Amino acid sequence: MSDILDIRDLTLAFKGHRGLTEVLHGISLRIAAGERVALVGESGSGKSVTARIILGLLQETGSARVAGQVAFDGRDIMAMHPRDRAALRGTEMSMIFQDPTSSLNPTFTIGRQFAEVMHRRAPRLSRTACNARATEMLEEVSIPDPARVLDAYPFQLSGGMNQRVMIAMALVNHPKLLLADEPGTALDVSVQAQTLRLMHDLVEDHGTAVLFISHNLGVVREFADRVYVIYRGRIVEEGATDAVFHAPGHAYTRALMDAVPRITGVGLPEVPEVSDAFLAPMVRHGSAS
Amino acid sequence: MSLLRINGVSKTFQTAGGPVHAVRDVSLEVAQGECLAVVGESGSGKTTLANMILGILAPSAGEIVFGGTPLTDRRSPAQRRAIQLVQQNPLSALNPKRSVGGSVRLGLDVYGIGTRAERWARVEAALEEVGLPADMRRRGPAALSGGQRQRVGIARALACEPDLVVLDEPTSALDVLVQARVLRLLNDLRRKKGLTYVFITHDLAVVRNVADRVAVFKSGRLEEIGPTERIFSAPEQPYTRALIGAVPVVDDAELKLRNTLAEAP
Repeated sequence: MSDILDIRDLTLAFKGHRGLTEVLHGISLRIAAGERVALVGESGSGKSVTARIILGLLQETGSARVAGQVAFDGRDIMAMHPRDRAALRGTEMSMIFQDPTSSLNPTFTIGRQFAEVMHRRAPRLSRTACNARATEMLEEVSIPDPARVLDAYPFQLSGGMNQRVMIAMALVNHPKLLLADEPGTALDVSVQAQTLRLMHDLVEDHGTAVLFISHNLGVVREFADRVYVIYRGRIVEEGATDAVFHAPGHAYTRALMDAVPRITGVGLPEVPEVSDAFLAPMVRHGSAS
Repeated sequence: MSLLRINGVSKTFQTAGGPVHAVRDVSLEVAQGECLAVVGESGSGKTTLANMILGILAPSAGEIVFGGTPLTDRRSPAQRRAIQLVQQNPLSALNPKRSVGGSVRLGLDVYGIGTRAERWARVEAALEEVGLPADMRRRGPAALSGGQRQRVGIARALACEPDLVVLDEPTSALDVLVQARVLRLLNDLRRKKGLTYVFITHDLAVVRNVADRVAVFKSGRLEEIGPTERIFSAPEQPYTRALIGAVPVVDDAELKLRNTLAEAP
């Protein structure tokens, strides 16, 4: 089985006034080519730092101590020269952020930002070729009038539109892995639902693997094939989305599920904010193909 | 008896691009002790409505009647005290330079609640009521977690002994476990103190579990209003159905409800 991402026993500590603070205590996570995997957890659990390590960004932060194995498409990210890691970003792997409007540059048109992304892969690509390819991508994300959007600035477009633009940009260079950190959390639910469906279909067509980072269990259920649940820097449960949602095995996962208000109106459960049971060993659902 | 009555209220903002009708001819009532949820997408006018209830904005047309008295642009201190706000983002809602206790006490000083000597005791009682230790009053908001800060926000509103609390997305910045606890706290406080809530949110799953009635807003208009049960079992407006249909769900019973609504005509 070819894994696009293979993380083993990854630890991360930050150097502070009082010595080292460990925030990831040895996590292991695999994503097969074309697989959609979710990493679910609360704020501060270590979701976003994991993404930043995969992108090779935290390795370059002076106060961070990263150890363990991170292999991307068979290449050891940890041993790589920073320059080679930088070359992967925006080409082999790309990222979508929470708030689309603030992650786009307000001073450049969408077309120009598209060109910038494409030039990372093909520095000599002509302007007309860039525009043609960008138009194609915008059509793929169902943007009705691509020519107008390419000439527009991000603030002239709605949040939902900007989110589609972000998805199109993230996929334009055919990355092998897409990191999506709470995509669409800043959007209205109906817009979020629409763009997630779109992203789901698009990565399926392109065969792009996705690491989907979210705190929203409902969104995860709709998007991911497989789920990792992270609690305080430890993976506490792993399994196929269906298995995890139908038979959550870890106390923390169960608490998390119970805490989500239901539209069926079954009332609000009594949930512990912390419990010793949350530190119980990891639960792994079978069929680890 | 209705505590709050909104009569044909509109709000129009004059902008460079022409007038923007944020709220259009809205009429609704909130009964004493009730929790009315106001839902809608961004730009639907729900926050503008809240700001008019709070007296931060004056309606362009219509009137707001509170406890039988029409509210004017110049409200009395007693009227202002009676309607309090809990904001969405607890970090930006608290003054970082003020201790937690100082923030909670501010309302007591402004409205002259209790004697000067007993105000600290009231502050501590308010903190304990929301499940925080009394000695937390000396801490700064930066030292608190998100859930603790939101509890401070609630304590601050309740210390003023309001009749009506406007909750503007009170839990949308919180993690799910913390959200569940804060929502329970809000339910308990309402029952215990006989409070009336106007609960503004975009999260329909939250609404289903806290509200007695739901008002659905779209582009400044009241699309539909009704008991929570009815809104979720038989929404009248396609827009309401679409809103419920877009909620990400976690269990099969929810999925079934959502699919039933999607199939309905």
